[in-house]
Amino acid sequence: MSPRGRLVLATLAGLVLAGLVHIAVVLAIPSLSESDALTKARTSETLDHAMPVYTLSTGINPAPAEAWLPIPDPSVAVGICAYNLAEGPMRVSARTGALMLSLAVHGRRGAFYAVTDQAAVRGALDLVILTRAQYDEALANEDENDVSRDVRIVATEREGFVVVRVVAALPSQRQAANEAVQAVSCTIDSPTEDAAKSGG
Amino acid sequence: MSTTTKPARPGASLDVAGVAGRGSRALRRFLRRTSTVGLVVYTLALGAGLGLATADYATRGGYPFGGVSVGSWTAWPRTGSLGADPYARAVNARRGEIPLAVGEGLLLTAAQDDQGRALDASCTYRIAGVTPPARAWTLTVAGRGKRDPERPVLREGFTSTEVLREVDGRFAILLAPDVRPGNWLPMPRAEGPVRLALRLYDTPVAASAGTVERSAVPTIARTGCAE
Repeated sequence: MSPRGRLVLATLAGLVLAGLVHIAVVLAIPSLSESDALTKARTSETLDHAMPVYTLSTGINPAPAEAWLPIPDPSVAVGICAYNLAEGPMRVSARTGALMLSLAVHGRRGAFYAVTDQAAVRGALDLVILTRAQYDEALANEDENDVSRDVRIVATEREGFVVVRVVAALPSQRQAANEAVQAVSCTIDSPTEDAAKSGG
Repeated sequence: MSTTTKPARPGASLDVAGVAGRGSRALRRFLRRTSTVGLVVYTLALGAGLGLATADYATRGGYPFGGVSVGSWTAWPRTGSLGADPYARAVNARRGEIPLAVGEGLLLTAAQDDQGRALDASCTYRIAGVTPPARAWTLTVAGRGKRDPERPVLREGFTSTEVLREVDGRFAILLAPDVRPGNWLPMPRAEGPVRLALRLYDTPVAASAGTVERSAVPTIARTGCAE
């Protein structure tokens, strides 16, 4: 093979290799990234309420610098609850008020469930995120006379986060929107508590 | 050996790609001297360098594709769902973005006016019409990069409750650098490109963004430019 032929072959092989590297890198970015929402949300796992991600500016108080959303909506307060289902099912409870509220459940691959306050029953929205095994267990332990109002969502992955968004339609509602985000509770449903409840 | 041959490589590949010029003799001499190992190193360097550079380019900034174009707006219905393409997922992961889920809302962005000209901070735009049905929407403007700390933030956007409407429910927002009557949205910066974002919350069109009519989104008309 002529020297030039070798160089052309090497260049072609390099281009094919570049394509493979490109695809591998793009696919690997979500799991390797340290700035993604899931990694940043992990700090909220110990909290029992939603961690504010984007707090709206109210009057003289500007929006705090904790915001890490690239281009946030200036009239929507955002909070986040990370979950790890290894510790048990995650219960997210929100009281609905005058402001529009939505909950979205994100896994590593993206959001797989979202619900707004229109689905609330008597002003309360209860979301329970569980694995398939925990779901089966919950079904088996269920008392048929005691109707559960929980919305049960089966997650395919153990780790993820729940995003709370509250829309402040008017600047005067921003304070209330910030408080509504903080008021959402995210707790781990411990099986012992459930057993005690059904036993008693 | 690789240290001595490497600087000559970009020039060598350029020569082959382009016309055989004055360096062709040097290239031939170089190719005669170089060994298979040199070519393998060249291949690996090309593959890794080009692959990493293109992956970085494709996942930097906005979503490279997956948008549904509606008039001068682009809807992004899938960026937050499980059906998001790998590029959208990589972009989200790099920016720390939490996209709107399908059941939650829909994001539409615009970087051009109705004539296809890029939105510029020194011009005045009239954003008028109606929005697709939604319980609430917000229309915001943002420039690229960091905000100028010197510039006071008067208003970043309008919500569906705040905006002043005509009797028939239509609205007109004036995006202008100087004060205007009515719905005045100040330019976020003195110059450079700006982008509009229309976020629809709790909207039925999120599941079928492809069916949104052109007449159902606001028009963006340039009314004048400061020279």
